[in-house]
Amino acid sequence: MSGLFQSLSVAVLFLCAAGILLVNNWRWMTGILALQYVGVLGLVSISWPVEIAVVKLVAGWMASAVLFLTYVNVPASADDTPYELSLPVIYFRGFAAVLIGLSVYSLVPAALRWFLGATSQQTLGGLLLLGLGLLQIGLSRQGIRIVIGLLTFISGFEILYATLEASVLMTGLLAILNIGIAFIGAYLLLASHLEEQS
Amino acid sequence: MNTPQLWILFPLLVSGAFLFIMNRKRVLKWAGTITSFCLAVLALRMPINQVFNFLFWELRISDEMLIFGRRFILSDADRPIVVLFFLLCTFWFFILDPKTVPIQIVPLGLAGTVLILTAYAVEPIFYGALFFAFLALIYVVLLSPPGQEPTPGVLRFLIFQILGMLFILFAAWLASWIDLNTGDQLLLVRSLVILALGFAFLLAIFPFISWIPMIAEKNHPFLTGFVLNTYLLGVFLFGLRFISDPGWFGQNINIQQPLQYAGIIMLGFGGAVALISKHLGRMMAAVVISEIGRSLLAVSLFLSGFPLFFALVIVQSLALGVWSVSLSHLRQVMKNFDFDSAAGAARQWPITSSGLLVGYFTLAGLPLFAGFPIYWALGTDLNPYPFWVNSWYIFGTIGLLIGGVRTLAALTRNSGEENVLIVSSSFYRSLILAINFILILLGLFPQILTGIAQNISNLMMGS
Repeated sequence: MSGLFQSLSVAVLFLCAAGILLVNNWRWMTGILALQYVGVLGLVSISWPVEIAVVKLVAGWMASAVLFLTYVNVPASADDTPYELSLPVIYFRGFAAVLIGLSVYSLVPAALRWFLGATSQQTLGGLLLLGLGLLQIGLSRQGIRIVIGLLTFISGFEILYATLEASVLMTGLLAILNIGIAFIGAYLLLASHLEEQS
Repeated sequence: MNTPQLWILFPLLVSGAFLFIMNRKRVLKWAGTITSFCLAVLALRMPINQVFNFLFWELRISDEMLIFGRRFILSDADRPIVVLFFLLCTFWFFILDPKTVPIQIVPLGLAGTVLILTAYAVEPIFYGALFFAFLALIYVVLLSPPGQEPTPGVLRFLIFQILGMLFILFAAWLASWIDLNTGDQLLLVRSLVILALGFAFLLAIFPFISWIPMIAEKNHPFLTGFVLNTYLLGVFLFGLRFISDPGWFGQNINIQQPLQYAGIIMLGFGGAVALISKHLGRMMAAVVISEIGRSLLAVSLFLSGFPLFFALVIVQSLALGVWSVSLSHLRQVMKNFDFDSAAGAARQWPITSSGLLVGYFTLAGLPLFAGFPIYWALGTDLNPYPFWVNSWYIFGTIGLLIGGVRTLAALTRNSGEENVLIVSSSFYRSLILAINFILILLGLFPQILTGIAQNISNLMMGS
């Protein structure tokens, strides 16, 4: 049962991280990001008690909410995505995501020697998020996509890191970092619309 | 009361309070300058872990604060670092012109400095990487003032700093698995390679270098100068903690050669950028990249190199400061900073342009300026090392000097423009002249600089 739950969490993570890469609509993007944190909670709760692991979920949802609310309040002109994804781009991204998924899956046995103490599902889920987050960062020029890529990348790291470090301070700092990055994304989205100081 | 409360929490509260007076630019500038100066003086004079009388009270300031089981320590040995950072803040806030520089530099700059000190104070060391990530977030806001689109360089800076932080945490994680008794060498090497990768991201070491020229080209020159000066210095000092910590680099690990490789690559790259660039912002990037290389070379000499490193820090700060203040004033009259737009600037605004030239040539290592004796001493200390180290050291320096001559030629070229607008007030013109004078004075009497640097080094090493 536990193995099935872990595998389901990995599937959710892959679908969400790949989905963020492919969708154009910001509502979908932030919604999928929020869902991704449920998968993160699933894998982190293997190493930590659920009541502590839920911090990851709360921080992730707060980060998603910050990005969502910023988009709602952004001036109309900024709402039009300047880099609309065309169909070939979506195919390319989808193909790249599948390639990363396959590569990571084949790397898991070797990676388990590096990530001592982690289960194979945790390693797979963590590495998937690291790979797909990096892909998102590498393929994007928009601040908001880069920020979501960074949040995805950090989530992958947090899954792996949870297997070693359960310090309250580290958990708190990583949660603040997630929310801080979301605030930076919000600021970058709004910066050009804010009034210049006279 | 303890030192982290005094030099971390209190300035953080003050920088928060500064956010409420953002519309009073001049007041904010002087408030920031005076606060930083007072904190520096306090750091210089305050007895730590000793009982002393203050007015009617008997006080004892301890050097340690505990948060969730983690210790934050600013002890007597850290005093020079605290003084150095608050003096840096004082210097940058003092030379900033509120008319030409976004004023959020005061609250965000002070908060950034505090985060550097936090990263320096926290135990275990690797937690510091997280505070550098927070610092990167603050500096992203600082480099993207309201009303302007965030530049690609800023986004890349953010990405690289977050990646660097994660690599350092990962290295610490791997290292924690090493059994100290059996000393698994493979795991140790893995963790050190990942740690080096983390620092390569943080310090913009080749090939993660691109954000420096990108930011220097597109962002405000004063903000860029401040960020590059304080951020890179903070990362260097954070790295020095790893080097001086016996748990990380034991007797069997040779890090001198990798440090020299990285230093030489950076210095050579900086020299090459200076040779081909036709943009004043990129020239600034060239000298900053070279300074990272020189600092790495100084650190690679360990105990004999630390005084040189601190002398480099002082020279870098003064030279970058005068360069940045000059360029931020010229920004008002130039549509951009490429050599064609800057043509004839030295004829129209000789004093302001002199700050650019003196700042640049100091960092390039021209004789008679403050940088020269330090670079000479560094070159002399590197003499016993392989030929390639010395030859690249010379190549980098020559590249920077040729770049300086090209800048001089561009600034003094006759552009045919005869209208002369006043770009700086008399206060800032005097300030530029004063810093120029100090840089020449330190070049003529380098013993002043080396004496200060030696003292800082001795205090830090506890000798």
